[in-house]
Amino acid sequence: MSNTLLISTRKGLFVVERSHGEWDIAAVAFLGDNVALTCVDPRDGAWYAVLDLGHFGNKLQCSRDCGKTWNECAVPAYAEGEQVITGDGKLPVPATLRLIWSLEPGGVDQPGRLWAGTIPGGLFRSDDHAASWQLVRSLWDMEERKQWFGGGFDQPGIHSICVEPGDARMIRIGISTAGIWGSNDDGATWHQCAQGMRAAYMPPERAHDPNVQDVHRLVQCREQPHVFWAQHHNGVFRHDGGDWQEVTNVSPSVFGFAVAVHPRDADTAWFVPAVKDERRIPVDGKVVVARTRDGGKSFEVLRNGLPQNNAYDLVLRHALAIDASGDRLAFGSTTGGAWISEDQGDRWAMLDARLPPVYAVTFA
Amino acid sequence: MAKVVLASALSRWLPATAGKPSEDVIVDVPGARLDEVLTGVFVRFPNLRDYVLDEHGAVRHHVAVFVDGTAIVDKRHPTQPLNERSEIYVMQALSGG
Repeated sequence: MSNTLLISTRKGLFVVERSHGEWDIAAVAFLGDNVALTCVDPRDGAWYAVLDLGHFGNKLQCSRDCGKTWNECAVPAYAEGEQVITGDGKLPVPATLRLIWSLEPGGVDQPGRLWAGTIPGGLFRSDDHAASWQLVRSLWDMEERKQWFGGGFDQPGIHSICVEPGDARMIRIGISTAGIWGSNDDGATWHQCAQGMRAAYMPPERAHDPNVQDVHRLVQCREQPHVFWAQHHNGVFRHDGGDWQEVTNVSPSVFGFAVAVHPRDADTAWFVPAVKDERRIPVDGKVVVARTRDGGKSFEVLRNGLPQNNAYDLVLRHALAIDASGDRLAFGSTTGGAWISEDQGDRWAMLDARLPPVYAVTFA
Repeated sequence: MAKVVLASALSRWLPATAGKPSEDVIVDVPGARLDEVLTGVFVRFPNLRDYVLDEHGAVRHHVAVFVDGTAIVDKRHPTQPLNERSEIYVMQALSGG
């Protein structure tokens, strides 16, 4: 089980450690800076932190000593002449890196391989531990990309990258807004994988178009990798071969951003529901986690240890994490709350801190 | 020789040898045009380039460059001529209240 939790916030990266049964902040890196995301590479123990500096652009920092020291890496870059062309009527604009929105290690047989998903929609690959990046042209050059559009941001973005354990050539990426694109050949070719999803926000004749599905977050079960879960803009979906199946009975709401799946039991997944869509606050001012143990047939509402009065915490898409054991979960909120469970969500303990807005949470 | 002042918001990202991270860093750099001087600064501090310029070579939207007290306006082509005593301030554009 992991005893270290990395919380990326608007004002720094907080390293939270478990000691004598209690979780507490052990260190802070980049205090005052906007840390959008942190990635832990299980192959070599490296920590990568994405800094979204308001004035100076996106930066990527790497630590090889569990956060004691950090060194700057390269960031993805778009060449002159590349354009962002979207399907929502906006005029084309030059492509520049807006945000590294997802960062994932490659396979165990691909040392140095990292994947970075960005706003405005480019996927980048590094084979040298982020010393350099290459745009994945096979995805960027697809005609279908010109129909992608932003969901929440002005431009489309890749927020989820799933590399299949055991076969790193199998990649699935979640895009807001362009459904789910997959490659079975290490990124050489791509195909749409969001068949079966439904977009309630689109005109009826486009509602089932896979390329307009606003997937908020996509996760894959480590030991049953044919099973995926997605938190979508207007619902929850599960994939177990064939088309995606909509799961309509998530209580108290099907809206949200985050999802986690148990690493061994694909039927067990967690969500943090909120009031859709214009409000984005907890239902009735109560922070709860919804858990299914039967593949979405039924859900429990978990609230033990979570605030149940006047709580307006929103949990963003990267701010719910599960550790490799499948027992420990953690999430953080836009109002700076953070909660940790050691029993799959039955009970939660609040971190004794009033953090800056939390963007991402991951176990190290 | 132009005098270039890098505001503390930038200098904190420079190597420790550049100076105290909480203070402005001042360097003298030869060049007859602004882009030449900036290139000279980036030769001295290679990682600074991506903080000041975007990937297409334009001065970032939220970075301000003042030459002798006047902010440059053409951020895509910062090629304006300098004189021997020009002073260049590179700073973060102000935001918030």
